[in-house]
Amino acid sequence: MSAERENGLLEAIKERYLEKLSPEIFRSRLFWKTVEGLARSPLNRPQWKADRVSLSHFIRSTRDAYLGKAPVVWCNLLVPSELVHGLGCLPFYPEMAAAVVASAGLAPRFIDRAVEEEFSSDACSYHRCLLGCAVEGFLPRPDLLLSVNYPCDSAVLSFAFLSELYGVPHLVVDVPLPGREEDLPLLAGQLEEAASEMARLSGRDREGMLRGLAESIELSNRALSYLRRVEEMRKRDDCTLDGKDAMGNVSVLAGCMGSEAGVEFYRLLAEELRERGCRGPRSLRLMWMHLKPWYAQSIFQSLERHGARLVCEEYTHATWEPMDPGDPFVSLAAKLESHFLVGPAERRAAHLARLAEEYRVDGAIHFNHWGCRQSCGGAPLVKRALQEKGVPVLIIDGDCVDQREYQEGQISTRLEAFLESLR
Amino acid sequence: MADRDMAWFCAYTPVELIRAAGFRPVRRFGDPHGLEAADTYLHPALCPYVRACLAQALDQAPPHHAMFVNCCDGMRRLHDAWKALFPESFAFLMDLPRRTDERGREALGREFARLLGALEEFAGRRVTPDDLLRACREERELQLAYRRTVEGLWGAARVAAAQAAQEDRAPAVEAADHVSTGVPVLLSGNLLNPRGLLSILERAGARVVWADLCNGDRPFTAEAPVTGADRPRILRELAARYLERHPCARMADGERRYRLLVERARECGALGVIYASLKFCDSYLYDFPRLRERLRREEIPVLRLESDYADGHAGQLLTRVEAFLEMIAG
Repeated sequence: MSAERENGLLEAIKERYLEKLSPEIFRSRLFWKTVEGLARSPLNRPQWKADRVSLSHFIRSTRDAYLGKAPVVWCNLLVPSELVHGLGCLPFYPEMAAAVVASAGLAPRFIDRAVEEEFSSDACSYHRCLLGCAVEGFLPRPDLLLSVNYPCDSAVLSFAFLSELYGVPHLVVDVPLPGREEDLPLLAGQLEEAASEMARLSGRDREGMLRGLAESIELSNRALSYLRRVEEMRKRDDCTLDGKDAMGNVSVLAGCMGSEAGVEFYRLLAEELRERGCRGPRSLRLMWMHLKPWYAQSIFQSLERHGARLVCEEYTHATWEPMDPGDPFVSLAAKLESHFLVGPAERRAAHLARLAEEYRVDGAIHFNHWGCRQSCGGAPLVKRALQEKGVPVLIIDGDCVDQREYQEGQISTRLEAFLESLR
Repeated sequence: MADRDMAWFCAYTPVELIRAAGFRPVRRFGDPHGLEAADTYLHPALCPYVRACLAQALDQAPPHHAMFVNCCDGMRRLHDAWKALFPESFAFLMDLPRRTDERGREALGREFARLLGALEEFAGRRVTPDDLLRACREERELQLAYRRTVEGLWGAARVAAAQAAQEDRAPAVEAADHVSTGVPVLLSGNLLNPRGLLSILERAGARVVWADLCNGDRPFTAEAPVTGADRPRILRELAARYLERHPCARMADGERRYRLLVERARECGALGVIYASLKFCDSYLYDFPRLRERLRREEIPVLRLESDYADGHAGQLLTRVEAFLEMIAG
């Protein structure tokens, strides 16, 4: 579920349920009826029509996962959702669930629970949060855990613990380093192995498996064509979609490709961007790198006060080409391999330099999420690569999930000094 | 560094290939006391070993020929920084699958072939199957020599001998380092400074009978010989040999790792396990709760410690270690 734009809805749910929050509530049909009712009510005021589509998709899919309506497959960020949708299983992305928990302000309790289990406080708080939720029984029970060895080590490692906790298999997909095209068949073979396991869970034969995957890849291709339109429209001067809102679409890009909701989301977003047009005079154009603190708004209010806008963000862009529905495993292998987070940081730096150029940014902000060896680790290299292109970079240390680690005053001072320097 | 020296950092580095191509494989252990020198290039919340290695290289004259293993985020970042800082030197990032099954062996064998091709190109010479077999034999002899050297050696002296073998030099065992008494324990973790935490364990009265560390006994555990007749077969066998070792916590076969650890603890007569790892190493941060549970089921006591590699303040741990030893010694 995208994390922030449902804030009004989350507040309403918190008000009604926070006091009696228990794992059982999420397995109650009444709870989900209430959530669906609230999502349809005036309490839910999405900024974009498309947000209603993604919200409704994630509520339905999460409800079905809790109620056990289909096999549930837990995935980390880079697992291609086409693979899971196409096999009649429900993909569940616990890292995104952690972002939702954080945006509701509930993360500390679960992070502390993971620390009680002796997960170190030096580990990523997305993972500590989801591990705490899992240990307390708050997440929908998986039938299979599927992780890809990128973008970071944490998912593969925490899924190994979860595999023992739930007593279900954990499949690890090793994506080869870039420049090893001849190893794509090996990667395709691993995806086929995962698909066969999911087909077994959902009771599909090989023919049904291939038919389902062809359908999901066709849907993904359609969504991709609309996403490309969205990307083109966002490059215009002061496009009305701000990066602070668009950042939540990482959940759509990761979890909805291969579903009808993915197509409808990007179709509606492209349509509305075209209808709304641009917002007037050109403002300071910024790029956001890594993800945002899901619980805090002040940083973005500060940007607005200074007339600065986020025109693009690292995680919401397509990196792959349309796929061949008749050759699903090789196509999905190529999609996975195309991701800028696979391999050395120079690939990530090149992706960000390209975005900076295409979106004509005046500066870039890197949010160093504590414990993220992938993003913090690569930040110095990314900074140098952007500075070589003439793009000033601000690196802010913080935590996307744990609000207790957010140094409001320090961040605000550094941000304002940076914005002043761009004028 | 000498022109023919090839630095390496991860215990999954196939040193046989480096040797066969005419280079001298030398594991670097960095400068544990000078990590800050790497701060401009590597975030302080990254593995201190990785930062120590970069800090040391910054202080050394070129060339900085090195080979890296794509084993964890920390190593990837070390490779990124190294490549940017020393563009004139040879640098190769070798992929390492997490899986150790047939798919993993196939992927690693192919990756070895790729690495060998890069080394040949850099060396300007072709490596024959005989070169490979000779290098495999030499490495095996070094491993056997290590095992002979450490018979009757414990703790810091044992790890110092392992480091010497990895640095391609003869071990210098000093009598003062040699602890022969104490409570027998198995030490498990990633990589530790023999002059740091290990000496604290000894001061507290521990006798480390097996060092399940990547700069300890772990890299010396493979048994399968390499005998293949042609290059592809040699590389496949070598890949299988590397995946056969006691696995690092980053590998996907955690169950095998725990089973081997328990067996080893029993064989060595260890009364408990001390689990000590470097800060910010995710592979070991996430591994501990699973291992603790497994050891609990086996009724093997465990103590967890953390190291910043220099271990200047490790003396504060003395009381905890002493209490643990007292408890397990009954």
